[in-house]
Amino acid sequence: MDNFKRKFVEEALDLINELETVLLRIASNPEDKELIEHIFRIMHTLKGNSAMFGFSMIDQYTHQLETIYDLIRNGKMKVTDDLMDLTLASVDHIRNLLDEDNSGKEEVQSVHKDLLGRISNIIEGKTSQPAEKKEAAVEDNGIKTYYVHFQPNTDILSNGTNPLFLVEDFKPLGNYIAVPSLEQLPPLQDMDPEKCYTSWEIILSTKESQDKIQEIFIFVEDSCNLEIIKVCDNDILSQPEIVSKIEEITINYKGIGLQKLKEIASADEKQEVRNAQLTPRSVEPTTTLKNISNIRVSSEKLDELINLVSELVTTQAGLSLIAENINDKELLVIAEDVEKLSRRLRDSTFSIRLIPIENMITRFQRLVRELSHELKKEIIFRTEGTDIELDKNMIEGLIDPIMHIIRNSIDHGIEKPEERKKKGKPSTGVITFKAYYSGSNVYIQVNDDGSGIDVNKIKHHAVSKGLISSDSSLSSKEILDLIFLPGFSTAENVTNISGRGVGMDVVKRKISDLRGEINIDTSINEGTTITVKLPLTLSIIDGLLVEIDDAYFVIPLASVNKCFEFKHETLVNAVNNLIFVNDGHIPFIYLRNEFGIASQCPDLEQVVIIEYGDVRIGLTVDRVVGEYQAVLKSLGTMYKKQDIISGATILGDGTVALVVDPNKIINQFNYQNQINIS
Amino acid sequence: MSISKDNGIETYLSFKLSEEVFAINVSKVINILELSKITRIPKSPEYMKGVINLRGTVLPVVDMRIKFNLPEKENTVDTSIIVLSIDLNGEAVLIGILVDAVREVLELRNQDIFPSPTIGTKYNTSFIEGMWRIDDKFIMILDIDKIFNTEEVIDIKEQLAQTAGETN
Repeated sequence: MDNFKRKFVEEALDLINELETVLLRIASNPEDKELIEHIFRIMHTLKGNSAMFGFSMIDQYTHQLETIYDLIRNGKMKVTDDLMDLTLASVDHIRNLLDEDNSGKEEVQSVHKDLLGRISNIIEGKTSQPAEKKEAAVEDNGIKTYYVHFQPNTDILSNGTNPLFLVEDFKPLGNYIAVPSLEQLPPLQDMDPEKCYTSWEIILSTKESQDKIQEIFIFVEDSCNLEIIKVCDNDILSQPEIVSKIEEITINYKGIGLQKLKEIASADEKQEVRNAQLTPRSVEPTTTLKNISNIRVSSEKLDELINLVSELVTTQAGLSLIAENINDKELLVIAEDVEKLSRRLRDSTFSIRLIPIENMITRFQRLVRELSHELKKEIIFRTEGTDIELDKNMIEGLIDPIMHIIRNSIDHGIEKPEERKKKGKPSTGVITFKAYYSGSNVYIQVNDDGSGIDVNKIKHHAVSKGLISSDSSLSSKEILDLIFLPGFSTAENVTNISGRGVGMDVVKRKISDLRGEINIDTSINEGTTITVKLPLTLSIIDGLLVEIDDAYFVIPLASVNKCFEFKHETLVNAVNNLIFVNDGHIPFIYLRNEFGIASQCPDLEQVVIIEYGDVRIGLTVDRVVGEYQAVLKSLGTMYKKQDIISGATILGDGTVALVVDPNKIINQFNYQNQINIS
Repeated sequence: MSISKDNGIETYLSFKLSEEVFAINVSKVINILELSKITRIPKSPEYMKGVINLRGTVLPVVDMRIKFNLPEKENTVDTSIIVLSIDLNGEAVLIGILVDAVREVLELRNQDIFPSPTIGTKYNTSFIEGMWRIDDKFIMILDIDKIFNTEEVIDIKEQLAQTAGETN
């Protein structure tokens, strides 16, 4: 049972997240009927599930909340800002209730009461006036009679659905007669007790709409044949003679049948049956595809799968190596096939773990909404490229730092409306969240059109904090980078929103934990853009395997441009450390010296040109071995300070190869050059 | 591996570095490997010998001779890597240490171990947990967690002289 409960909680959390997303969307489109329907459906499911699993507080709570949205759905109420606040608060509250240890606590209980009170205020306040107007518009008592034919699939019992309960659900709607049809019932010896052979014909007189009837069957839509047809616009069940007629038929015949019922209704009432309005809404057991297009898998299982694939890739490298050494044609073919397959397996396995960035956007939208209210600022939050997919772990690791960045933009970036008007800007500020691919990286940009960062202020601040000396000459970019130093908080008055000590240094650290980089771009009164650059995957990269002396290195293929061969003396005699290749002079780094390998150089050396942004640089190596899929392994805490080596990988024969980080090499090289020049 | 603290007996693995004998509580020891090819990582401290492939994971290896500022010796058939699980700032980390030879497993009674004098030494941190005297020689029981929580080279000779001085 606990297992089921956990599943329920998991599913409920998903539902709540979905609810939150839709709510935020509706905030900007309060008239959107579809969204309201969507909200209603989520709440209904949540209510049903929680009742089933004994979360009675949630059941009770969502029931109330659902009532409000039912009113909105029926046009008796409008979506207001107050209501949005209440519903969003409810979302948090339901989340709390889902944690059973939590739901007993006093503060949760008091929140529960408080919110319930607010809900019933809204319901009472609104149902009275506009609802009456609507009611008046309906001429008669509004009771219509429907014919419902409900034929469950024979296996309906196996999902734990009791069709009798569904039939009983008609009770609150109005008067009804339910007639079971046992026509399909097989002889006793052929009967399977776990199958349902019964179907029902239900005649219902109700004020409610057809949708309301449909709703009873919301959970079994796909596992039954359902027909709901309006028979006439009055209440035939209130007339005893008709009722007795119907009863008569059910005794004589095996079922009522729609045709018979209509005859009775029209014959007795002499009333036109508006055929035009007869819209049979038979719900066919629609393609089950919709249901199996998503499978829930625990992330541990995925991690396990990815570990296995990583091991397979390593083993495959061993196979390829042996095949090459033995040089047997057939073996080579197989080895090549295995390599291709494992590459594809790797790609699709990794894509499983990718989820769209969309998933973390909701939190940001809420943050912007709530914080801007609190700070009395007008802010629009725009998003772009949220369909871009990233590794699940990466998204999880990104939420906190991006939250912090956005919080900073709201708190320090966007000015108050009056101030903005003075500056000649529109009073509403815009924060844009943008994600896009470039090369083997994903970029995430958070941009605001606020006041920008004053470089002089930062410098001043850094001097007063003793981070730099007052006479140090730094470029404005270098000064901006000071923000990332620990113990730097620019907010002049520390608010409770930002400036809580968790500063940009933490943001930077978290981003670099994901092997990402962060950059600031700002201009006074125009705004600030913070760009986070992230690698696509965390664990396997395509690389170029090279050899220096007897050590192997892997250069990520994404940053490799070209390879050239040079005589050793050409490189030694190169002027200014520049070599001439097809399209110009390129500086190069003698990796042998850089890595402190002292042995003799070969006569012919290879230069691998790597590229980062618009910088190109050559790396000299002894030998280029070839392309290699490297399963990245961390060097561990002992090598935390290691910069240009981003990890290690194990080759087919068991030796360890080091993975170099080309970006770091280039950065380091640029830095050294700058020093040399100055 | 039965380490019973009740009767005051602890089990230690002893090994040789240069002419000195050291011991580590076996609860820290994962296994002992023959010397295999170590991949050096450029631009790392000299005592960080590099990494080896330990059944598919990458294991950093520390050369204890350099870490302890002892004279260097050629590797022999006896040279081994002891895989240890150490506590590095609260995180359990596997590392290998390169030693000249692995000696034996000792079962020592607590009362036979001289505790390391912590008061009165000029260093706040002693890397030696205690010592055990056998004939005229001492076996140093190392506090391995402390040793790897510093990135500096430790002058073990000085430590020894000091500890020995205090105990005598």
